[in-house]
Amino acid sequence: MTHPLIQISGLEKTFSSETGWFGQWHLPGFKGRGKTDQIYALNGVNLTIYQGETLCVVGETGCGKSTLARSIMGLDEPSAGEIHYLDQRIDHLNNRQRMLFRRRMQMVFQNPYASLNPRMTVYQTLSEPIAFHNPQLSRLDVDEQVETLLESVGISANSSDRYPHEFSGGQRQRISLARALSVEPEFIVADEPLSALDVSVQAQVLNLMMDKQEEYNLSYLFITHDLAVVEHFANRVAVMYLGRICELANTSTLFSAPKHPYTQALLSAIPRLDSTAADPIRLIGEVPTPTEKPIGCVFQARCPYANPRCYSESPEMRLQSDGSSVACHAIEESRL
Amino acid sequence: MNLLSVDHLNVNFHFKKRELTALIDVSFNLKRGERIAIVGESGAGKSILGFSIVNLIGKPGYIHSGAIKLENKDITKMSLRQLQDIRGKRIAMIFQDPMMTLNPVITIGDQLVETIRSHTKINYKDAKNIAIEKLRNVQIASPERRFDQYPHELSGGMRQRVIIASVLLLNPDIIIADEPTTALDVTIQAEILQLLLAICRDNGVALILISHDLGVVSKVAERTLVMYAGQIVEEGPTLEIINDPQPPYTQGLLNALPQMALPGQRLNQIKGSMPSLAERPSGCAFHPRCPYATDKCRTQQPEFIYSGVSSVACFMVEDMLSEFSQDDEGQL
Repeated sequence: MTHPLIQISGLEKTFSSETGWFGQWHLPGFKGRGKTDQIYALNGVNLTIYQGETLCVVGETGCGKSTLARSIMGLDEPSAGEIHYLDQRIDHLNNRQRMLFRRRMQMVFQNPYASLNPRMTVYQTLSEPIAFHNPQLSRLDVDEQVETLLESVGISANSSDRYPHEFSGGQRQRISLARALSVEPEFIVADEPLSALDVSVQAQVLNLMMDKQEEYNLSYLFITHDLAVVEHFANRVAVMYLGRICELANTSTLFSAPKHPYTQALLSAIPRLDSTAADPIRLIGEVPTPTEKPIGCVFQARCPYANPRCYSESPEMRLQSDGSSVACHAIEESRL
Repeated sequence: MNLLSVDHLNVNFHFKKRELTALIDVSFNLKRGERIAIVGESGAGKSILGFSIVNLIGKPGYIHSGAIKLENKDITKMSLRQLQDIRGKRIAMIFQDPMMTLNPVITIGDQLVETIRSHTKINYKDAKNIAIEKLRNVQIASPERRFDQYPHELSGGMRQRVIIASVLLLNPDIIIADEPTTALDVTIQAEILQLLLAICRDNGVALILISHDLGVVSKVAERTLVMYAGQIVEEGPTLEIINDPQPPYTQGLLNALPQMALPGQRLNQIKGSMPSLAERPSGCAFHPRCPYATDKCRTQQPEFIYSGVSSVACFMVEDMLSEFSQDDEGQL
């Protein structure tokens, strides 16, 4: 396999919010005495992303997928753990130091209606990062680059003076992708880039992302809850639940032989076209809000195979015979 | 007899300088207890069709011509008072985003009770009992406690359950569900779909499901209408349409699904995008994006014909059918 591009070890992120009447006042230089609520978004995530691969992170709302993405990009500062980009540690850089990495890693956001500045034309949106990161370029060179960039994502260059509201959702998402590509990054984090789009438009954007990967040897961290897209697009899949990764495997392995009980339930819930598919495995309840630091396995409350050990001891990721890694006591004890 | 029949419905939007057509000649029937789906891309007119069934099209839109008959009574000709009797009580609607549908400053219980009391003469206590019963029907745990909570205290899946409960309060004949699971996770989506299906089956309620996800549709609906640019292009049994789509548009919609391509291969996209109402192409509206378009498609509007599998408005299917029938005659 190729070299690891990003290595994440023991990543934790805790958000705290002050509750109560007192906590709602934000006075400068004054620390509220209200009770603080902690939200444990990430609880020790270990993950390696290799060069040129597409790693998909799947999981339900509130499992920490987006926090993971934002931590890698430096938009949220992790509470503990380390993130390495090639051989440099990047999780505690200041803005100035981070600038070097901003051009190597880029992000595409979920909602193309919100992530493009409505008061900037497409030309301004795309030329700003190019001119900023390449101060040596002349105005004409920047113009030329914007033009080729727009054409490469399938938008005609003569619409570069238009504003985002004049484009459709799929076109806007392609402009977002063009913006991410404008600084020629090595790594792109895409946080649910397709969820606001129709099936046919989804196909267009997904095709474009695959073309660009081939062209620039890009690595993707692709966050989604649409498993059909994952099956098609990913090389490897990480399944997340309540801030931890519970299964990590090659796409074909994961879809043919899901091991973790949560993965099994998740896969059975995909609405398939063929009517012969079995009924979905029903999970009781929904993802709980992680207001307490989880003790034991994070999935215990909804798992049909939980035993006393699952409530007390947190399972480690263990390598299985087919190359996947699973964190589950039931599998380790071959109860499953 | 048909519970609901929509007959040559045309919905227009009226602006100062121009008139735009949003729905053109839409006709379909719905039997008691039947579950149908309306699929298509954004802008196909799916939601407008849903709204016009309960006559909820707001200005500048209006129903230009055609009839929507609920057991022989024409909804398009009703007064506001008559409409209020039907909305919620006979035909109920579920919207996409449950947070937008529920009032954030009123408790769930009060919203449910209000719905009951505005349609029937029941005292608060009895209405509360009905509401709690319905909350229990949609599998909400400890409904007595939820009754006094506000919408923000519930998760997305839970809120959609509350909406379904509120729709069931008045035992409607038809539920129109406009993308009810788009905002939800896969696991929750599966649960909500099963719930909707069970409720419709058990109570004999007819369902009109509006969705762009053919996977979802295949789980729930018996019959499917495929819409493009304000027109129905195919109508038939869901399984037949999914297994053997006739017009190029339905084929394109199905082929664009990631399941339809080999992993890592390019997906089969439909080139171009849905035309806006103002730029409706002549002839068959799909012809600029259709790989099989001929001169006939560019100038003439295809009529609805029965292809043996489904009803289709497409010249290509029509030509193929006539070729087949000529072959048959030749053999005889």
